[in-house]
Amino acid sequence: MNIGTRKILDRSFTALGIGSIVVMAIALLIVLVPIITNGIGAVFFTGTVEHRKMLINEFKRGDTDKLAEEIASSDRYRSTVYKMLTGFEAELDRMPPEKKAEYKEKYSQVKPALQALLGPLPGDPEPMLTRFKYGQTRWEKAEEKLHDFLYESKWDNSNPNVMSKEYFVSRALGFEGTTLAQLFPYVKENIDHMLLPEFTVYWGFITDSSVDSHFFGGIWPEIQGTFFLAVGAMLFAFPLGVIAAVYFTEYAKPGFFNSMLRSANSTLAGVPSIVFGMFGLAFFINTLKVSESKSVIAGALTLAIMILPTIIRAAEEAILAVPKTYREASLSLGSTKWNTIATVILPAALPGILTGGVISLGRAAGETAPIIFTAAVSVGSAIGLADVFSSPTPALSWNIYNLASEHEAASQIRHVQYGMVLALVSIVLLLNLSAIVLRARISKKLKG
Amino acid sequence: MADDSVGGNNRTNAFVISARKRAIQKVSKTMGEGMLLAVASFVAIVVLFIFYFVARDAVPFFQLRGFSEFFTSSNWYPADQPGQFGALAIIYGSLMVTLGSAMIAVPMGVAAAICLSDILPFSIRQYAKPVIEMLAAIPSVAFGFFALVVLAPLLQNNGGPMLMWAWWILVSPFLVLGVLVVSDLLTNSIKDPQRRRQLYAFLLTVLGLIAVFLLYKVGTLLYGIQILTGTNALNVSIILSFMALPTIVSVSEDALQAVGRDIREGSYALGATRAETIIKTILPAASSGILAAVILGIMRALGETMVVWMASGNSSHSPEPWFNYLEAIRTLTATIAGDMGEADQVTGSARYHVLFAMGLLLLVISFISNLVSERIVVRQRKILSGQ
Amino acid sequence: MLMTADAREISQRAPAQKATRDMYIPPARKKISGGGTAHISAKEFSVYYDEFEAVKKVTADILSKYVTAIIGPSGCGKSTFLRAINRMNDLIPSCHTTGALLFDGNDIYGKFTDEVLLRKKVGMVFQKPNPFPKSIFDNIAYGPRLHGVNDKKKLMEIVERSLRKAAIWDEVCDRLDKNALGLSGGQQQRLCVARTLAVEPEVLLLDEPTSALDPKATAKIEDLIQELRGSYTIMIVTHNMQQASRVSDSTMFFYEGVLVEHASTAQLFTNPKDPITEDYITGRFS
Repeated sequence: MNIGTRKILDRSFTALGIGSIVVMAIALLIVLVPIITNGIGAVFFTGTVEHRKMLINEFKRGDTDKLAEEIASSDRYRSTVYKMLTGFEAELDRMPPEKKAEYKEKYSQVKPALQALLGPLPGDPEPMLTRFKYGQTRWEKAEEKLHDFLYESKWDNSNPNVMSKEYFVSRALGFEGTTLAQLFPYVKENIDHMLLPEFTVYWGFITDSSVDSHFFGGIWPEIQGTFFLAVGAMLFAFPLGVIAAVYFTEYAKPGFFNSMLRSANSTLAGVPSIVFGMFGLAFFINTLKVSESKSVIAGALTLAIMILPTIIRAAEEAILAVPKTYREASLSLGSTKWNTIATVILPAALPGILTGGVISLGRAAGETAPIIFTAAVSVGSAIGLADVFSSPTPALSWNIYNLASEHEAASQIRHVQYGMVLALVSIVLLLNLSAIVLRARISKKLKG
Repeated sequence: MADDSVGGNNRTNAFVISARKRAIQKVSKTMGEGMLLAVASFVAIVVLFIFYFVARDAVPFFQLRGFSEFFTSSNWYPADQPGQFGALAIIYGSLMVTLGSAMIAVPMGVAAAICLSDILPFSIRQYAKPVIEMLAAIPSVAFGFFALVVLAPLLQNNGGPMLMWAWWILVSPFLVLGVLVVSDLLTNSIKDPQRRRQLYAFLLTVLGLIAVFLLYKVGTLLYGIQILTGTNALNVSIILSFMALPTIVSVSEDALQAVGRDIREGSYALGATRAETIIKTILPAASSGILAAVILGIMRALGETMVVWMASGNSSHSPEPWFNYLEAIRTLTATIAGDMGEADQVTGSARYHVLFAMGLLLLVISFISNLVSERIVVRQRKILSGQ
Repeated sequence: MLMTADAREISQRAPAQKATRDMYIPPARKKISGGGTAHISAKEFSVYYDEFEAVKKVTADILSKYVTAIIGPSGCGKSTFLRAINRMNDLIPSCHTTGALLFDGNDIYGKFTDEVLLRKKVGMVFQKPNPFPKSIFDNIAYGPRLHGVNDKKKLMEIVERSLRKAAIWDEVCDRLDKNALGLSGGQQQRLCVARTLAVEPEVLLLDEPTSALDPKATAKIEDLIQELRGSYTIMIVTHNMQQASRVSDSTMFFYEGVLVEHASTAQLFTNPKDPITEDYITGRFS
């Protein structure tokens, strides 16, 4: 090959390496940006009067007088809508039968669309589910529902070779010539008078419990459950891990038995997380019977086993990084080996050990598979500290899965899902960030 | 004062202790060490327990149904009466996403590791490392959520154009390089510089045109593809490759760092370019460590649950044709996660035990690959340290 | 030579109590009251790392309250010998000994020796200053606390006394709560001496204490050794022959694990008996 081609190859090789790192950074951004931008929307959004009504009714928070005023003002516009509806219903009765059947069918779609937008209409029976008691609480959802109200969605199946396509037909056209035709332009014109959108900061998203399986309210039970599980796992795994690391670094003599123990450690690190969940179910719940069925304690124990190898490795590394001279100095002053470990080596290794601990804490908080069979429930309120031995808990990681994949109206509550993902990701990344800061402080401290 | 306490008048034999005290010391020391050992062996006991308890609940399945159905049949109807437990399609699904993610993550990961250890200056490396750490820290359920809510609709609605652009962006640089190298190699044997230059230019044009044609033709072919569902093997493979990348990068970077400076310098001194040095001397020296990294990365993809559960479509049929990554598939982990909820009500049924059989399969695979990668790393360390 | 009855009894038990008498003490040095008896004596004492004999059958007496220097080329076993005295070699699993090493007549490697109590009596200062990453106060108080002193006032007394003895009190008295790693190298090393003195040892082992220091800090450490001479039995391993001749009363020369010559410093440096010693001190090898 001539030198020119070789140089080109060399440069493109460099470009390949740099390119793959750039792609990794971009991948990180692509994943994080939608999570962050949409997740923030769970707390900061344009709320409607329905949101404020919900807050006062369900959480007893907000300005009652102001709300009464707002309801009065929105009712002025809504009453016109209601009048149009009753007017049309009367007109419907007067129609000839075949025409009546046609319009009635169309009208039966209009009413639910309007209910979804504005909440129950006057004269409707009190709904059973909280989600039907209010109209749209968020403005961007209200705009979607307004579109559903104004246009009927249809599917074009004419070409069998291509996937069918969705298209929209204006409902107003369908009611041309009747009194209801005016309803659609009226609602479109006056929707903001009826819903009174207003920029809202809803910190309750973090501190409230959920209402009607996350249609309203916040994610406090999940946050608390994640906290219980992760901290519980640490309570078991951290002391065990540090003691095991002390044994490996200070006492273990090289040999077959010791290398077996080390192999066991790396094997445990490689076990798929779902297998930990099965083990937790088969051992802690079905065999040891730490609890009747799923419970926080069973989940925490399972997570503890999962993070144990990470803690042991981090602690080992931290202890090995303590200069040999500290050990010598302490021993030469007449300290026993145990005393040297407790008063000199562990304090010096502490930041490193804590770094490993904090990263493991993040891992325990973010992991889902081990708690599916051992600790997590889909809906539930925050549990007390006394209940950790008997009752399961909702947790962020599990409920993200549950709301996104199994919730009956998953696409209705995307903002809650995004909010949860953001909460979980920020908890984990903040823990990792503090680990990085801790690590930076170690080197600073050791330099004096 | 110290002056009084040392010297002739105060010499004591205080460091000699009685036999009894010595015995007590010895016993307490042994006991303390024994307790530490007990805690340290806890990990080994846990590993044994995991194997025992998973196997305990897996064995009844094989007793009830034998081995052949599980490994050879694709009929997965566990809820029927009587149920059918052919896991072949599910095992194949696991294999497919693992392979798919490896195809993306291994070249990228190794290239990134080379870049980190040999190419980038330290100042930039400092910023690249946290990116990798963050990628490793993001919980799997967040990746799964992204795959389900963001990536799947994108693939479903704009699959064709996305595939076309991916093809163009990924393949065109390699085609350009290929054309250059092939033209160079073909003209190498010609002595006369005048003729050589002419032939080189001619080959460049012809091969270049072929390459452009190939790019365009395959591009339009891809553009026409309609992806029926966004939750498919391709989606999962992409996301799993992100999750396997940090492991591959950090372990292979360690392996590359372990290759000494002298080997590099020796190669440079012979007039090799950086790329040639890396490919011809460093990569072979670090190959076993990189192999270990690849095994660990693949295991991460194989053992991952949430992403595949949320975004693989969970269809228990093999895709048609077998290499079609655009169809929904189902994996072992997702099956365990999804079916346990219904199956654990009926402990003792084949439906419950088949899930543990799957768990045992995963466990055995992960155990073997861990052992292998550990051996590889130990061997490489020995070779490099010249023992 | 004044000896209490108690000490006499011990020295009668100790067989190698008679010291080498041909020792020369430079007149400029202050007189030492008491001392001059064999504080540590080695009898056919060897140290092995696995099969390798690092110190070969050394027989010698170290006089109490005097300064003994150990010189020799690298790898000659001088550090190993020093570290054998307070059993720091126990940290190396492959290390074992034969022969006897007596401290006040009791075998250091005896069956009933408690190495923790031994190390309290035999303090050590290392090549590189190695203060703990704690405050200056906590560094000095570390030893006394280990041995049961917890009273704050008493600790403060000990800290001040030790720091004064190590001639560093004036430099650090206003920042006792600061991290010891913030001190300069020379100060750190004197702090390490003070830390060792705080447990009130009888013997001070210095393992090349100035090899990591600049000349100015080295001079301060040497002054300090002169200060402490007469109060403690001091052994110093050094690469620097001038240093040995400046600070020590007697000198041991090790070569390939063998104690080649042990004599008063003046004699060893001016009139060595062994040709190898002469070659070494005249710089023919190092």
